[in-house]
Order: sequence, then structure tokens, then C-alpha cells
Amino acid sequence: MIAVAAAVAVVGGIFALKEYNRGAADVADMTSVAKLPASELLAEFAADEVAATARFVGTTEQAIEVSGPIRSMEDADDGKVNVVLETDDALAGVVCEFAAADVPETWRAGSEVTVKGICTGMLMDVVLVRCVPVQ
Amino acid sequence: MTMKALKTLAYAAMLLPLAASAQERYATRTGHIAFHSETTMENIDADNRKVSCVLDATTGAIEFAALIKAFEFEKALMQEHFNENYMESNTYPKANFKGKMTGASADDLKKPGTYPVTVQGDLTIHGVTKSVEHPGTLTVEKDGTVKASSDFVVKPEDHAIAIPGVVRQNIAEEITVKVRLDLTKM
Repeated sequence: MIAVAAAVAVVGGIFALKEYNRGAADVADMTSVAKLPASELLAEFAADEVAATARFVGTTEQAIEVSGPIRSMEDADDGKVNVVLETDDALAGVVCEFAAADVPETWRAGSEVTVKGICTGMLMDVVLVRCVPVQ
Repeated sequence: MTMKALKTLAYAAMLLPLAASAQERYATRTGHIAFHSETTMENIDADNRKVSCVLDATTGAIEFAALIKAFEFEKALMQEHFNENYMESNTYPKANFKGKMTGASADDLKKPGTYPVTVQGDLTIHGVTKSVEHPGTLTVEKDGTVKASSDFVVKPEDHAIAIPGVVRQNIAEEITVKVRLDLTKM
């Protein structure tokens, strides 16, 4: 009986420790809840931010896929790169934050790409973080 | 002009009431806010590199906004608790500040230099607005970029952020916040 209790305690402790130290989920392994062009994503937020937040940001972390031509690419702090996808609005885009190592070397302004990331909402642009390319 | 372009202009107008000197505005969409909580139990750090900010150098009016879900933590569990239990980011998805900066004029921002400034205004976090005043620094680079920085402290209780007793020892009563913005002329 004591041995069983000890085993349960050890297993529980290991689980708790692993859960405590769990890192962010790998976006590449997540199922995308929506796939749409960047221009459409921006239009959804512009039309009804609350509804778009509920759909694309969700109540718990979820991934979406966004496609379109690259408007610009900018290096940011801490080894990050911001890839801005073109939309129908010259004043607003879809900003996708990548780890620099995850940005394909072939990507340039004008490249047609598909990006998978975590949508966090809209300020001036719609913002996606932890992005990865979709081949 | 499309309807979306009109809406974006309206958003910018909401960020800062339009003044005659629109050319004296500086802005960023990729500002950085980091916070640090330090206790004997554990340290907690998070970063948000998608902060929007607009500064009207003529009037000193300054506003910034941050998406709560854009704060990233090293540990997923911390990020989940931050969003679901403390910040309630589904209900309060944004934090924002609206106020005024003094200590550097529009003319100052036209030449390289470093200027100590004071920012005063209303900080809204978790749906609760509090008047604040913090020191900061503006550094004008040779290429015209204006680097703004400010370090200050936020108390969760000031914004009705409830910390359960079971983790009270893990979360500092005063959270250190660092703001770093590279502002370019609009």
C-alpha cells in the first residue's frame, strides 16, 4: 500500500514538474482553426472586431493560416523578424512575427506566402505571433 | 479611398485627436513592453513586441496600446494563468495609455540628442484606469529615429487584478515594466 502511494506521489510529482516547465506549443503541430487571405482577415477585423476576435483569437490559444504577398520584412529585437502581409488597405496589414531562423531564405517583398501563427488581435494591424511558414 | 482605409484613418484619429501639424507625428507598430516579477519563489518575465504608439511632438500627446495576448512567457502555464486567471484577456483584450509627454519639444526631436521627459496620463489595464506619471528618456538618433524608454512599476491591485492566495508568494506585489519604442516619423 505504501509502495503504491509512493509511486502515485512520484508520478504526480513528475507530471506537475513537467506541466510547470511546459514551453509554448509548437505552432507547426497545431491544427489551424481558419485559413484565409490576409486581406480577408483584416476586413473581418475592420468590419466587426469583437466577432473577429472571438473567431480568430479565440478563448484559448489557437492557430490560423493566412496567405498573401509579402508587403515588407523587418528585423526586430531579440532575433525576431516581422513579415507584413499585403492587404487591400495601404494603411494596415497583417503583421506576422517569426523567429529569424524560421523565415525561409527565399522570402522577399512580393513573395506569395502562407503563414501559420497565433492571432492576438488587432491594433493598427492584425497581429500574429510565433509564426511558421506553411509549405 | 476604400472603406477599410477610412476605418484605419478613423482608428489613427481615435489614437490621437488630429492637430494641424500631422507631420510632427512619430509612431511605431512594433514597440516592446517587458515586465518582470521577482519573488523568492520564482521570477516571471514576459515580452510584447507588438505595441502601437503614436506621439504628436507638437502637442506632446502620446498614446500607446498593447494586446494582452501578445505577451509571451517562457513557460506556457504562466502565460495561460496570466491570460485566463489574472488579466482575463478575453474580457479585457487590450491595455492602453493616453496622456502627455513633457520635456522635449518638436524642435528637439529634429536634432540628435537625449532628453529626459515625463509622461503623465491615464493607464488602463484590466479595464481599470489609473492616473500615472513616470519619467522616461527620448533619444534622437542621427537617422531621425526617436528611441523612447521608460521604466516604472505597476501594482496588480491598482488594476483590480486578483491574485489567488495559493500563488500570492509567487507573484510580486510590484511588477517592473520596461517600455522601449523606436518611433519613426509618420
